[in-house]
Order: sequence, then structure tokens, then C-alpha cells
Amino acid sequence: MQPPMSMPASMMGTATASTSFSDSSSPRPGRLRRFSQLRAYTQNLSGGHRSRHSISSRVPWLSPSSVPNSTVTQVGNSTAPCPESDQPALSRYTSAPPSSSHGLGVDQVSSTDSSNSTPPNESIESPRSSNVMARLRSASAVQGRPPRTLGRTATPEGPTSSPEPSAAATNETPELAGTPVTETQDDGEGSNNQQKQKATIRFFPYQDSFQSSRPSLPFVPITRTLPSESCVVRVGRYSERDGIPIPNPTEPSDAPVGFKSKVVSRKHCEFMFINGQWHVKDVGSSSGTFLNHMRLSQPNMVSRLYSIKDGDIVQLGIDFRGGEEMIFRCVRIRIECNRSWQQQPNEFNKNTESLIKNLGKGETADYAGCRECSICLGSVLRPYQCLFMAACAHVWHYKCISRLLHSPDYPMFQCPNCRAFTDLSAEVDDTNDHDTEAKKSGSPSANVSEEPQPRSETQTPADAPGPDGDEQQSSNQQTGQSEENEVVTDIENLHLHEDQPLNTDIDSRRSDSPAPDGSNNDLARSATINIPGFQPTQPLNVPAGRPSHLRADTPVRSETSDDNPLTPRNDSGPLAFDGRAVMQ
Amino acid sequence: MGSQKRIAKELHELVESPPEGITVKLADEDNLYEWRVFMDGPEGSPYQNGKFQIKLVLPTEYPFKPPTVSFATKIYHPNVTNDDKGSMCLGMLRPDEWKPSSKIGAVLQFARQLLAEPMPDDAIEGRIAEQYKNDRKHYDEVAREWTRKHAS
Repeated sequence: MQPPMSMPASMMGTATASTSFSDSSSPRPGRLRRFSQLRAYTQNLSGGHRSRHSISSRVPWLSPSSVPNSTVTQVGNSTAPCPESDQPALSRYTSAPPSSSHGLGVDQVSSTDSSNSTPPNESIESPRSSNVMARLRSASAVQGRPPRTLGRTATPEGPTSSPEPSAAATNETPELAGTPVTETQDDGEGSNNQQKQKATIRFFPYQDSFQSSRPSLPFVPITRTLPSESCVVRVGRYSERDGIPIPNPTEPSDAPVGFKSKVVSRKHCEFMFINGQWHVKDVGSSSGTFLNHMRLSQPNMVSRLYSIKDGDIVQLGIDFRGGEEMIFRCVRIRIECNRSWQQQPNEFNKNTESLIKNLGKGETADYAGCRECSICLGSVLRPYQCLFMAACAHVWHYKCISRLLHSPDYPMFQCPNCRAFTDLSAEVDDTNDHDTEAKKSGSPSANVSEEPQPRSETQTPADAPGPDGDEQQSSNQQTGQSEENEVVTDIENLHLHEDQPLNTDIDSRRSDSPAPDGSNNDLARSATINIPGFQPTQPLNVPAGRPSHLRADTPVRSETSDDNPLTPRNDSGPLAFDGRAVMQ
Repeated sequence: MGSQKRIAKELHELVESPPEGITVKLADEDNLYEWRVFMDGPEGSPYQNGKFQIKLVLPTEYPFKPPTVSFATKIYHPNVTNDDKGSMCLGMLRPDEWKPSSKIGAVLQFARQLLAEPMPDDAIEGRIAEQYKNDRKHYDEVAREWTRKHAS
């Protein structure tokens, strides 16, 4: 590659060894790499104001330390130094196991490489084709399949808004405070707990009333409960010929989800549940998957995994301008997940239950915890009233809430108190699991019900459903937003490049040298896991006071960022890839 | 109408135990949906000693739709339009952020808080916001001047 030409002088300083380095990597598949590198540089120039992500971290292969090792790796018969050093580094990185997954460069040596360094924990079907595109695909495909150790699965909102700080330990803190990754790893326990509560995700149609005038494709709310954690929910175009079997609603199912829209590719995206966290990834759709308006990958490219949280909007494809029929509309999905804490027994709904049990017991009834109907501000739990209780255990008079029930959105109902969505047409759940489980496990039951809470960002704490929680959350979101975007951008860009092998080398070197102390190492580890593509040494310098940079995973939309391809406005054609293009 | 009962209830509460620096009454005894609110400028702000009259209009769909808050008294503030309407921009009053469980009392307290601490990043009057951020002293002066002229 010929990076030095495009490299601004300021960067030359950092890249002392750039010349030799460029030699070393010259045998790589040229064009694509050059292109992406160029992108990275422009990125640097435009985004350079953020010093923390400055050159060396963003373009890790520039770091001098990478040179000797990378040379070895590149040259080909790297059997000796590479393999073992490879693996720890990798698992730290994206936690995607095989080295071959780490970008184009590695594929050159993958034949020698992979045999040695493929960790046992994942089965990879990455085709080692010589075609560049295919390699790119497979690369990200594998990256998109990280094992349990994936640290960035948590989408913490920051400590302040965490409803249950005490319970936050497993998932949240590693990213924020740099607590040892092992904690994240032994989240396996947590997921064991959770496995009793199967991973469930729901898709609701979402109409974006702010951005576009055209409605998106209407569909019936879809629920999927994974039979096992390794299952994947595939999403694509519905085809009459293949049909789609209708799953038994009482059994867990990972049946594919089909949408009758021309702008949805046959294989569009996938949802998977990893380490207690739902993720989405584009599997090479042509018209794109957008998470909160940010495009996950370029056309026909596989994206990495993006963690999703309750309330996120996933858009499949872009409205096709050629026709007004519904089949040309994009699909907008509002995600509901991580709500299991609300479905399990918790303080709030148990309280409600006892109140309801007391209804009509006359003088002896205990109305101490009686709540008011947030619509009429009258007392709710009195005998002889028609009530409506949503799944979140908020209760109103039926008369008061009926307006919201019989809305155009029916059967979707959004709780006016906590904004939780309920599918009013959902099957009645008549299992007794919760009860028995709670009885069986006694005190652990509390654990069970609280455990998932840190994962659910959007909820207010169960017993304090008020405006406060929401506001706090939204303000948090705002503050983190811009930074988050930066990071996301970084990830995005670095990720598409083939820098990984070099990173790997840097990383492995580092791990070879004795780590100064455990915590430091751990900090680095957790950080690198969170942000694949970051230079491993970099997080060591991260001031503890700015954890928000590390936590970002779910992209949040920002008007200010030019870097992310955003969903084009709905009236633009399918070829518009990027919001900017539309403007011109 | 269910909303009447709720509004009456909120009105009663606010009249019985008014929040600090805020008094409410109906603009017209026959119309429950239009309130007149008197708000004292918060201490320590340039609006101190001012008495601001606020028009609060409740939609018939209240509480499903947010009320509107506008200043009848002219006020120099980044979040209040500098025209006859004097409309105030409150985040919680935006249709997509409004929750039926929010009460008028909370809205008014929030509005008063906004007098004490303007939010220049969420401003309607960009010029005033600019001044608030960059030339605080001058902003204070003008705001105090306006308060003296219009709100006392």
C-alpha cells in the first residue's frame, strides 16, 4: 500500500516506521486496502480534534511497534511466532476467534495461520476464498460471531441511570470502570439464570413520524423466543415460494422472520442473543440495515455485531421510489427486548398483585400502597371499578386509559407511565413458571428478578415509574451521544479495514511482555474488547472520569456526525447510501 | 369529560398548596382550560423581584396532550420567544416527550427552574442564548432591565 502519500505530515511523526511498514504490507490485496486506508486518513483529519482517538489509536498499524512482527506475519510462513500470540490477542479484540477473521491481510497467511490459531470455542464456516470481497465478508462474518467473552455486549447507560446499581456488576462495570473482564466472562452464570427465562425479542412496526411522511411497511408484531442461546433469528424477504412455517406460539422458536417488501434482501439481517444481550448484524443486504438511523454496513457487506436495546429502531432497506405500493416500503422495527425483569416477579408488580387481591375486602382491605391512576389522578385500586393493567403492572381505570388502548396503533399499547410497549394481541401466557421458580429458589429469586435489570436501559426502576427516570435517561443519552458517535465512527471505520492483523501483533507483543499489574491489564482488556480496532495500549491512558467513551456500542443518532451513513429521508431512492448524498 | 375532573383536581391542589413562587387561578371562572399563573422571578436570577404572568392553556385532550405555556409578561430569556406570544419551550411539553402522568404543578415548577437556569442549548431565541453563553454580564443587565420595565 502507499499510505505515505496520503498521510499528512502530522501523522508522519507518529508513524516513524511508516516506510518500512508499508513495505511489509505491500503484498496485500491492493486496491481495497488503499481505499479504506484513505478513508481512515480522511477520518483522522476530520475527526482529529478528538485527541484521545488520535492517529496512533485510530490507525494502529502505524505504530512502530507493529512493524517487525507484522513483517513476519505478512511474509507468510508465520507458523512460529504468530499462532499462540495470536489467540489471546484476538480474543481480547473482538473476541472473534480465528485469526483469519481479522481482516484481509491475514487471509494471506490464513492457511498456515488458522490451523494453529483457531480457538476451539467456535465453529467457523468462513470460506477462505481468494476473492477479496468474499474475504471481507467472511472476515466480518466471523467477527460477527463472538464467543461468550464478548465484553462489549453490555449497553450500559452509565452508572447514574442504572436502575439497580448493585446488580449492575456483571454486565456494566467492566466497561465503565475497567473491572476485570473475567467478570464479564463469568456472566455465564447470569445467563444460566436467564436461560430459564428464555431470550425473547419482539418486533413491532414503527412509524417514524418525524423523519418521513410515508408509512413504513405494516406488519403484525412478531415474537421470537430462542430455544437455545446459540440460535439466530434470521430476517429476510418473505417469499411465497419458500413460504415461512408458522411456529407453534407456545414453543420457543427461532423461525426466520419474513417481510413482504422488495427492499428487504432475501438474507437481510440476523438477530442473536449473546451473553445476555441481543445483537443485530447485517448479513450482506443490498439496501442496508439501519440501527437508529445508522447504516450498519455498505451494500452487500456483512456488518459486525451491534448490540441493541429495548426501544431501538431497526430499519430494513430504504423506500423504493419507483412505486407507491406497500411492497416497496422499507421495514421499520421497534425492538422490544431485555424486558424480562418486568415480566418476572418484582417489587412493583408483586405489590400490585397484593393490592388487587385486597380489592373488595371491605374494611379489612389494606389500601396503604394504593396508587393513583395517572390519567385522572384518582385512586385506582378501589372496589367496583373497571381497571386495566398493562404488562408493566401499571394500572389505570379502564375508562381513563381506553383512549390509548383503542388507538390507531392497536394492538400496540405504550404505557404512558413507563413507555413500555405491550402487545395487546399477544398470546396469553398461562404458565406458572414464575411462581414456582420464586418459591423454589427463595432468596435467589430476588436475584433472578433483578439480574437482567442492568441490561435494560430504557426502563425506569420498577418501583419508581415516574417522569424522573425517563428524563434522566434521556439526558444521559444526550450527553453521551456525541461521544458515542465518535466512538462508533471509529469502530466503524477501523473495522472495515484490514488493520486487525497488525493490531494483533501489537497486542500479542504486549501480552508477551510481563504486564505491569493485573488491573492495568484488565483495563486494557476490557477496553479492547469493547472497541475492536482500538489500539490495545491506548485504553491504559483513559481517564477514569470519562467512561462514557467506552461504553458506546449501540449507535445513537446524531445530526452532527457526518461520518455515519444515516438513513436517508424516506423520499430518496434506494441508491442513496448516505444522508449527505441526498442533500447534494 | 374525564379531563375536567383531573384538571379540577390539579387546580385544587395547586390553589391549596401552591409551589414556591407560583400562584394559579383560572383566567375565566367559567373556563377550566385556561389558567393564569403568576410566577415570581427566582431569587438570584436577573428576574428576581419580577412578577410574571403566564398563560397556561390545556387542550381538551389533556392529559393525553401537553398544555401550552406562554408568558403574557415580556421577558428576556433564551427559552421564551421574544414576541407577543411569549411561548416557552419546555422539553417535557413536546408532544413526543409528554407523559399523561406529568402534572401541571411539575410543569410550572420546571418553568420556574428554567428562569433560574436558562438552557441556551435548547433555545428559541438564539441571539439571547448566544449572549447568555458569551456575555453573561450583559445578558443579566438586559434581563434585569426588562424585568424592571415589564414585570414589576
